[in-house]
Amino acid sequence: MNSHRKGTPSARFTTYIDFEEINDGLTTVGETVPLRPIDVPEETNVDEEKIEPHLLPGEIMIARANNVLKFAPLKANRTGISGTLFVTNFKVSFVTSLPVETKERDMHSRSLQNRFLGVHDVCLSEVDMVNQFSEDSAKKKRLLYNTQMPPRLSGLQLVLKSLRVINFSFKFTPTGEDIRVAQALLHHAFPTSIDHLFLSCGYAPSSPGIPDFCRPADWEHELQRTRCPNWRVSKHNEFFNLCASLPTVLVVPRDLLDAQLEQAAQHFQGTRPPVWCWGTPAGAALVRMAQISPSITDNNDNPVARVPVLALQAASGFLVGRTGWQWAERGLHLALEEGKPSHSRLSVSKSVGSNMKKRKVDEASQQQENRMMGLVHRCHPMRLQPKIFDLDQILPSLKEIQISYIKLRELHTPDDPTQFWEQDRHYFSRLESSRWLSHVSKCLEVAQNAATAILHQNSSVILQDASGCDLSAVISSLVQLLLDPHVRTIRGFHCLIQKEWVALGHPFTKRLGHTRNQVEEQSPVWLLFLDCVYQVSLQHHTALEFTSEYLVALWHAAHCSLHSSFMFNSVSAKYSASDVLQRENPQQPIYLRPVWSWWAENKSIIENEQNGSDEEPLDCKTSAREAFLNVHYIQKLFKSLAISGAVRRISDPLSSAYHTWQHIDCLMGETRQLPYDPATPIVPLQLDGSLRLDTSLSNLRPWLNCFCAWLSEPAMLTLNDSESLLKDSSPASHHWSHIHEMYNTMKDLLSQNLTNGAAQ
Amino acid sequence: MAARGQRSAKRRSGCFLVMFSGVKPDKRSKVKGITQLGSRSSSSSSHSSNSNTTRSNSSSGSGGSSSSSSNNKGGGCKSHSGSSSGSSSGSGSPPAGTPPHTQMASHESLNSESKSSSLNSKLGHESMTVRDGSRTLRPDEPPLVPGEQLEGTAREVTYLCPYVGPKKGTLSVTNYRLIFRSPETDPPFELEVPLGVVSRIEKVGGANTSRGENSYGIEIFCKDIRNLRFAHKQENHSRRMVTEKLLQYAFPASHKLPFFAFGYNEQYQERGWSVYEPIAELKRQGLPTESWRITRINEQYELCETYPAVWAVPAAASDNDLRNVAAFRSRGRIPVLSWIHPESQATITRCAQPLVGVSGKRSRDDEAYIQHIMDANAQSHKIFIMDARPSVNAVANKAKGGGYESEDAYQNAEVQFLDIHNIHVMRESLRKLQEVCYPHIDNSHWLSNLEATHWLDHIRCVLSGALRIADKVESHKTSVVVHCSDGWDRTAQLTALSMLMLDGYYRTIPGFAVLLEKEWLSFGHKFAQRVGHGDDRHQDADRSPVFLQFVDCVWQILKQFPHAFQFTEDMLITILDHLYSCLFGTFLYNSERERIEKEVKTKTVSLWSLILSNKADFENPLYSANTKHHVLFPRTSMRHLCLWDKYYCRWNPSMRQQEPVHIRYKELLHVKEQLEKHVDELRKELAARQTHDSPRVASAIV
Repeated sequence: MNSHRKGTPSARFTTYIDFEEINDGLTTVGETVPLRPIDVPEETNVDEEKIEPHLLPGEIMIARANNVLKFAPLKANRTGISGTLFVTNFKVSFVTSLPVETKERDMHSRSLQNRFLGVHDVCLSEVDMVNQFSEDSAKKKRLLYNTQMPPRLSGLQLVLKSLRVINFSFKFTPTGEDIRVAQALLHHAFPTSIDHLFLSCGYAPSSPGIPDFCRPADWEHELQRTRCPNWRVSKHNEFFNLCASLPTVLVVPRDLLDAQLEQAAQHFQGTRPPVWCWGTPAGAALVRMAQISPSITDNNDNPVARVPVLALQAASGFLVGRTGWQWAERGLHLALEEGKPSHSRLSVSKSVGSNMKKRKVDEASQQQENRMMGLVHRCHPMRLQPKIFDLDQILPSLKEIQISYIKLRELHTPDDPTQFWEQDRHYFSRLESSRWLSHVSKCLEVAQNAATAILHQNSSVILQDASGCDLSAVISSLVQLLLDPHVRTIRGFHCLIQKEWVALGHPFTKRLGHTRNQVEEQSPVWLLFLDCVYQVSLQHHTALEFTSEYLVALWHAAHCSLHSSFMFNSVSAKYSASDVLQRENPQQPIYLRPVWSWWAENKSIIENEQNGSDEEPLDCKTSAREAFLNVHYIQKLFKSLAISGAVRRISDPLSSAYHTWQHIDCLMGETRQLPYDPATPIVPLQLDGSLRLDTSLSNLRPWLNCFCAWLSEPAMLTLNDSESLLKDSSPASHHWSHIHEMYNTMKDLLSQNLTNGAAQ
Repeated sequence: MAARGQRSAKRRSGCFLVMFSGVKPDKRSKVKGITQLGSRSSSSSSHSSNSNTTRSNSSSGSGGSSSSSSNNKGGGCKSHSGSSSGSSSGSGSPPAGTPPHTQMASHESLNSESKSSSLNSKLGHESMTVRDGSRTLRPDEPPLVPGEQLEGTAREVTYLCPYVGPKKGTLSVTNYRLIFRSPETDPPFELEVPLGVVSRIEKVGGANTSRGENSYGIEIFCKDIRNLRFAHKQENHSRRMVTEKLLQYAFPASHKLPFFAFGYNEQYQERGWSVYEPIAELKRQGLPTESWRITRINEQYELCETYPAVWAVPAAASDNDLRNVAAFRSRGRIPVLSWIHPESQATITRCAQPLVGVSGKRSRDDEAYIQHIMDANAQSHKIFIMDARPSVNAVANKAKGGGYESEDAYQNAEVQFLDIHNIHVMRESLRKLQEVCYPHIDNSHWLSNLEATHWLDHIRCVLSGALRIADKVESHKTSVVVHCSDGWDRTAQLTALSMLMLDGYYRTIPGFAVLLEKEWLSFGHKFAQRVGHGDDRHQDADRSPVFLQFVDCVWQILKQFPHAFQFTEDMLITILDHLYSCLFGTFLYNSERERIEKEVKTKTVSLWSLILSNKADFENPLYSANTKHHVLFPRTSMRHLCLWDKYYCRWNPSMRQQEPVHIRYKELLHVKEQLEKHVDELRKELAARQTHDSPRVASAIV
């Protein structure tokens, strides 16, 4: 208690002497806590000169500041570590010869960017806010890229998108260096254009081993896997001439001609026509669709008087949302152009309820939308009605999600222990008033309803949101997670994200604020999705092959500019950024590295990390794999081998035991490659029921692993590193040791070729 | 006495009316009578998973019982289905007496090809209640525990379950519990509630005023966060009899009747009363040392009637000093050793507030005594006095003659206040919590409602107070004196929790029993008063969930350190259930002295007999014994605490309970065993074949 009562925010950055005083105040018993930075001023300049950050090919050092103190926030005894702070065009790098904190090391070993970022490094695109502490005022002040710099900075606070806070003190930094570092940081962390980021590091990435859903074969493969009939692959978007946010290949109704597709696309926002993204063998398809474009022509019209049909529609007041759309007898009657006798006249209506936002739509667009829905309808082998989920109506808006996130960020980035405890007292009500969990709950509920419609009513589902690439991506992905066992594996999950988020063009640049433009477009839809998956993993421990740790790592990975997966607004944006880079550096090959490559890489690109060079990179990888792989999922695999007779059949390639063992061997094996061979043959989709979720708020849990990943409780106690103290170990460690034993037993058995003999 | 002896003999004969095929009556009834509390909670949780989720794949596990479950869900109700064969088809039948929830893990979820294992294990919960095979009981003759006697039966009573609606059946009252059975469903719906948990009984609707169905009956308010409503038919005139019997046996103390614990005569393998021997425990801690001695000065409970007979005190203090100190401490509760650090000799001592009063009285003897405690620890020249109260309350107590030590009078002592509120605040907080949790949860405001109860806030205060004590002892090697006002509520919470953090012995099953026996029972936490055993004054201001709060704190630590405890939360729930049930003598009466007077040890069974005899059921498979030498410093921020929903929300089927990790771990061990068995079989088979056949070239596999 003492500690945080005495620690005021200003105290930290006033003078060096203050640190000592605070410490003396703390150590009431008489022992003094050794102050690490005490030796800072004595360090010789000769040594300082030698300190350099590790630069990747193409990376340029922009500014450096010597004698900087780095503070983990909320440390009661205020021990900072001294070092040199560098800003490059890729990262903020803090170089020190002092040992790394356990927490930082752990987090680093479990990050997907540890191949090219050191323990003390932060990628520039991860920086969310930069605050300054100046000498004369105790208050922190936010620095923007265009802020006028004060003559001297006493401290700089970085708030990262991973909800981490790092403080640097320039108390001993030579004058001028502090300002230079801050300016470089502000300039390069908030670029005007995505291609100003450091996107390629000159090393060819390992093959990620999953399809990128930009080639026709990938989508054909997906159609074959799901055995969803009556859809075809269209290459009409080959040069992004149809739609810039979609990949070059899309899956559309079989009966839709490319010309019609092009015509229809014009009427949707972002010229984005409806696309198939998943389906079932029974014919239910999952389709994502943008809203139709607001009318340009009749802005001045009175919308009610404008089109009688629309008035009629509004009057009929169809239910919107989860009940979906209905065939309306009173609605529009629309003849499809192709003259199929039995189905040529489809009465289609897009429901326009009175509670809907007033959208000005012209008749042509409305007709196109209805036509597309009619086509989805006709794709269904049993001609069942598709259900429309108008996500703009039933889910929170992007703005609301962003507002929630900002509240969430405030709650998890306190400046000092006092603020931490003050927030902590009201943690639950603040969390509730952020409404984040209620957004999560809504998403899960809608996904559950959509999954039920597909599974039990065998009806196609059309997910419609404004741009067709935000909330529809969340729901579409969740529906597949609930229904498709393949998606619950690591490889399947990678495919899902590659398909729904990367290829189908979730605008990561805009939503995650990778550039300084379009700040108002920011909205962490990606985090919302990951949180939903986290809730699924909580409610179904054995269902997912990956852990919630992996989800945290994916959130953090989305802010590293070397991960091309989460940097761009669309595939076309990625291509054009790549072109720009290539034009600027004709000599250097440009490699955009998908995040999935992490699984295929063994070695760190940074060969000799200043700290912890003695650490085996392989060990680090093993621990990360154990943190990312769900031990309970593997346990489930072993369970199916433990049934009588399964071991006997293990060498028979036609048995399920054989495949289970192959699966286990991939996950546990020595090769430490991707969990699957990229050349895995198509395993057809087997629907085995849906994961049931409890979406009520009282059954959702705040995702502490993610929100508090960097936020450790401010120590109330003076001694935290006593040897007798039990460190909280991973609860899965016990499980892992048995899993390893079982694996070795099996491996041993198979190496003796015993099963083969027994089988004969 | 003689009269009672006769009565209990009668009861005993009564219990043999219950016949079971195949199993000895005593064993069988033990399973039923004892584990029911725990099992009920788990069975209700099993219902919970099914009630609000329409299962998509009906193929999962547990055969016939799945259909019954949908009819049978709800407020702490137990279903008995006809056959036990379903639950143990795979791998040997479970040992009798194993609480069903632990059997579940190893059998049910293993046998089913799980699509989603948590779903299956929920189903497993359900089928595990299927256990009393082929019983030949008539519907209105429930199985009774030894010593239990049927006192009255009312037919055509409706149980108004808040979750699944009304159920018609028979309500029986025994001298131990009420039993409601509804034959409407198959298997019959069953609800059993020990009368000890009843806090008050109210009649609903008058003979002439009641209109409408189910408006005439009784409502029973329970201490374990639930209320029960039964509707009677007016024309049956059953309500009066039931109410009378209920009042009589729910509140024996108010009716000058003995507690049921005195009639309960189950035989257990282990004798729970011998789990705690004060001298043995002090010896375990290394006493006597040169600075600490063991004294029997309070053998006759004369110096302090609420303290135990055996104390450990500083060797430097003479018996006379002790008497003088006792005069200066509230109710004679002087600082006595609770725990001593095996290496640093830093100690935790507990006492009541000093009688400082408004005038600021001092006692040289008390000051010297505190100095002795400090001197007994050579490592530190300082001593902390932890006053559990908020400082305002401590000051206010001066007006009543109490107060706190002034740092001027006690040299080298530092007084810290731990800001834990009094019993009235805690009682009110629990009342609010119950409103939030039972019967229905308001989802849209769940978190803010939860926060408004301040229950977790109080938990946080107690935990961080205990953590601070543990830190002073462990990290600073400094002795700590703990007190509140009387030193039997907050003090007991703090000393017991910090001892649990510091000493791994208390995290074992027998160790935890010792901890409760020592810090709570022998040092006179007023269980009878705080719980109100058998007492009908439900508004008594002395009641307070102090012990519940302590157990909740233990659960929070257990949750943060799943490997450090030998027991699981099931044991904590069992302890809490029997805190109210009055089946065991353990928690009866207010002090060691009263228990000696009432001959509790000879006339009742100890709760530890049950727990130690069924140790396997409460054992945590994740426990690693080497954590015994470690100290636990739990995180105490609000965000790392959570509501113990398995206890507080256990009656509510909409609350989804997380499958505990230890259940999955048990499953893993079972899988491993099976796998190794298969591998061994294969090896042997092959070895046998190879001796017969000539060796041949085996083709490569994998």
